[in-house]
Amino acid sequence: MEIGGRMLWPLLSGLGRRKGTRGWAFSSWQPCRPLAGLLSATELVSHWTAVFEKRGIPEAQASSEYIVAHVLGAKTFQSLRPVLRTQSLTPWQLQYVQKLSGYRLQRMPVQYILGEWDFQGLTLKMAPPVFIPRPETEGLVEWVLEEVAQSSCAAGAQGGPLILEVGCGSGAISLSLLSQLPQSRVIAVDKGEAAICLTQENAQRLRLLDRIQIIPLDVTLEGSWAHLLPWGPMDLIVSNPPYVFHQDMEQLAPEIRSYEDPVALDGGKEGMDIITHILALAPWLLKDSGSIFLEVDPRHPELVGSWLQSRSDLSLDLVAVRQDFCGRPRFLHIQRSGPQHGCPVEARPGPQPARVPG
Amino acid sequence: MYLLQWFGLPHEVEGGKPHLKPGPEHAQPPSMSNGGLLRWPAPLARMCTAPWGLRPWEKPALLAPGAAGTAVQVAGKRDRPTLLPPLEESDLEEQFVKGHGPGGQATNKTSNCVVLKHRPSGIVVKCHQTRSVDQNRKLARKTLQEKVDIFYNGENSLVYKEKREAEKKKQERKKRAKETLEKKKLLKELWESSKNIH
Repeated sequence: MEIGGRMLWPLLSGLGRRKGTRGWAFSSWQPCRPLAGLLSATELVSHWTAVFEKRGIPEAQASSEYIVAHVLGAKTFQSLRPVLRTQSLTPWQLQYVQKLSGYRLQRMPVQYILGEWDFQGLTLKMAPPVFIPRPETEGLVEWVLEEVAQSSCAAGAQGGPLILEVGCGSGAISLSLLSQLPQSRVIAVDKGEAAICLTQENAQRLRLLDRIQIIPLDVTLEGSWAHLLPWGPMDLIVSNPPYVFHQDMEQLAPEIRSYEDPVALDGGKEGMDIITHILALAPWLLKDSGSIFLEVDPRHPELVGSWLQSRSDLSLDLVAVRQDFCGRPRFLHIQRSGPQHGCPVEARPGPQPARVPG
Repeated sequence: MYLLQWFGLPHEVEGGKPHLKPGPEHAQPPSMSNGGLLRWPAPLARMCTAPWGLRPWEKPALLAPGAAGTAVQVAGKRDRPTLLPPLEESDLEEQFVKGHGPGGQATNKTSNCVVLKHRPSGIVVKCHQTRSVDQNRKLARKTLQEKVDIFYNGENSLVYKEKREAEKKKQERKKRAKETLEKKKLLKELWESSKNIH
């Protein structure tokens, strides 16, 4: 559906001239039917959906709906009060939609355009290049919550569980756990400075700073685990580590390739690099029978199973695999068995050559 | 208790529509030397006695200003947990607007709309109230539960009962207000007439 072009031309072309860079955004404009009156949210969504579709932008309608809803102060178009959908937008609102849609035409992810996104009922700030939480990962949090409810030692005896998150990104996993486990404490680490800042900011906004320690740390560096020892043995390690196979990186959509930090995605040759590092340092950081919960690529359950077999020195068992809401094997529960290793500082549990299973 | 089953159920994709089926979580590969521990969510047994939608330790605490959705306990303006007949996950058919990509980190998907169908009654609910798939699934189930209740119980459904109760209370308040007004009128008239006598 074409919008009354004549009303918008001066508005939009004016913008274009002022900014000087948006010429391409108007190339798809066609002068159309005579002035139809002021624009409503519904009409605007239709318009931008058509523009996005023409330009090959994925999720054209969803993108358009989120942008318009956001400008009108709602999270989704469906949640917008019906009366607001038919009311005319102000010129300022139209301009704002125009600006945000321009970013979408550049394949910027909607979450970065809006500067926020929701995860497990929390609204978190989003900022490139920090990794955007995926909907699947909500399933990881649900699983952890279930296990904590079940496990009497982890739940709230003296304030617990104590959770380590590796690769916290925007803080999605840590903060959703903290908000749903009022007695828990979290140590969140990430090697990216931007991620540390963003987790900090989100924790502050959610008033959860008192129960989280946010530490810049690269767990793949030798001896890094030692920095975590002072916090004591942990009940749980949770992570959505970079798990994309390196060879798959170049096939990622422009939204991901051009805007998200590749370091947060690239897991090396078989997507296993960071996963194996986490598993290797787990025995040094976990309590007896402590657990590790990971999100992984669907090809990983088998690979991780084999790897753990080759590293029986770690005393880790793959206890369960769970599917995401799309039916793909996505989450692993690995448990530590046996007494805690003594932690002499000189002993280094870094990656060892794979041993032939005995 | 179906809340816990959501992410533990194997999905089968048939013609693009995933169905929810009860089933155990996958065991680890048989090659595991430990003989494999198949863990069936024990809370299932415990949860059946808990009020619907609420885990014993769960508080509907909202920490984010304007956070979408809350614990499923909140149904409209009711304060007590609603005791609607729970829905069987095996009766439900769930559809997500999902791309055909690999999913997870390799995909950036924002269409989090959930379409939920109750097969026995044929009722379909669509939820895109929030930007979180998880929340939309919960809200869809809540809405579907209410609709199924009305469908099967009609006038006797909890929704209608509560509506009638609210209406009744409203009528009572109106009646009392009217009575009070009439009493005042009467008193005023009496006072007026007593003035005239003197």
